[in-house]
Amino acid sequence: MANDIPLNWFLYFSAAAFAIGLTGVLLRRNAIAVLMAIEIMLNAANVNLVAFWRYGTPAAGAGPMPGVILALLVVTVAAAEVAVGIGLVLLCYRRWRAVDVDRYDTLSG
Amino acid sequence: MARSLFLAIAALGLLAALGTVLARNLVRAALHLVAFFFCVACLFVMLEAEFLAAVQVLIYIGAVAILLMFGIMLTRNAATAEADLSGGWRVPGVIAGLCVFAALAFGINNAVSPSGSGAWSAIVARPALEPAEGVAWKAERSRAIDDMPRVVGEQFMTRYALAFELAGLLLTAALVGAVALAREEPAPGDSEPATAVEAEAAVGTTP
Repeated sequence: MANDIPLNWFLYFSAAAFAIGLTGVLLRRNAIAVLMAIEIMLNAANVNLVAFWRYGTPAAGAGPMPGVILALLVVTVAAAEVAVGIGLVLLCYRRWRAVDVDRYDTLSG
Repeated sequence: MARSLFLAIAALGLLAALGTVLARNLVRAALHLVAFFFCVACLFVMLEAEFLAAVQVLIYIGAVAILLMFGIMLTRNAATAEADLSGGWRVPGVIAGLCVFAALAFGINNAVSPSGSGAWSAIVARPALEPAEGVAWKAERSRAIDDMPRVVGEQFMTRYALAFELAGLLLTAALVGAVALAREEPAPGDSEPATAVEAEAAVGTTP
């Protein structure tokens, strides 16, 4: 394909999305907003994985789709993380009546 | 054509990500997040991983976004409905994000791919998949793209069986853990209230 998309464009997209997600984790005080920003970062990493799978030449014996499989496993882990994270946030909300991560400071000495 | 389509989708996706991070209203942030997930699914389609795009829509938009919505709805009250951005840390946070982006861009421009195919910035087109003699991986990958769900299943049952079992174990543990976390009702008198707020609430609810 003469007019194909360069690999760099995907990498820049996911780098920008990752930076935005990291900024969100640092800026937001609401615990659920922090979870959303973490999801943005995980998705950015997934775009990278699939882009490298499609654009790279595989090592010998790597199988037909290592990047896709790794992306699927990342999706699985992200789903588990959100389930447990929401459970934790609800528990903390019941205990402190707040979803503000600045208020969860019981462990700080 | 493909390039302009990519640029449009990427711009939409980045705008949606910014909206997720910056929106004051949490429900609006969650809807921006749905738009971002959909743009990422579109990018998976452009990378010829249609099965992964379907999984992205089903799991992220169908499950994760809805779960986050439930979380938002269940934790809504007057004090936290409008989530404020943290005041004093706004500038350092933005600077940290820009620095990470600069470091990543530097890495993208200067990295050399390990398989010896030159710099990443020199890769301007995906490898063609016409079958050629002596290149077994092209036929393999072409089959993987054309018949992705079947190949994913085969790979999970053979090469990645251990990872598959571990993912199942992780999901089971997360399910049990989420249930155990969410169902714990602190019995009155079981443990002392942690904060004055909860003590107030307990006093307020007990007749």
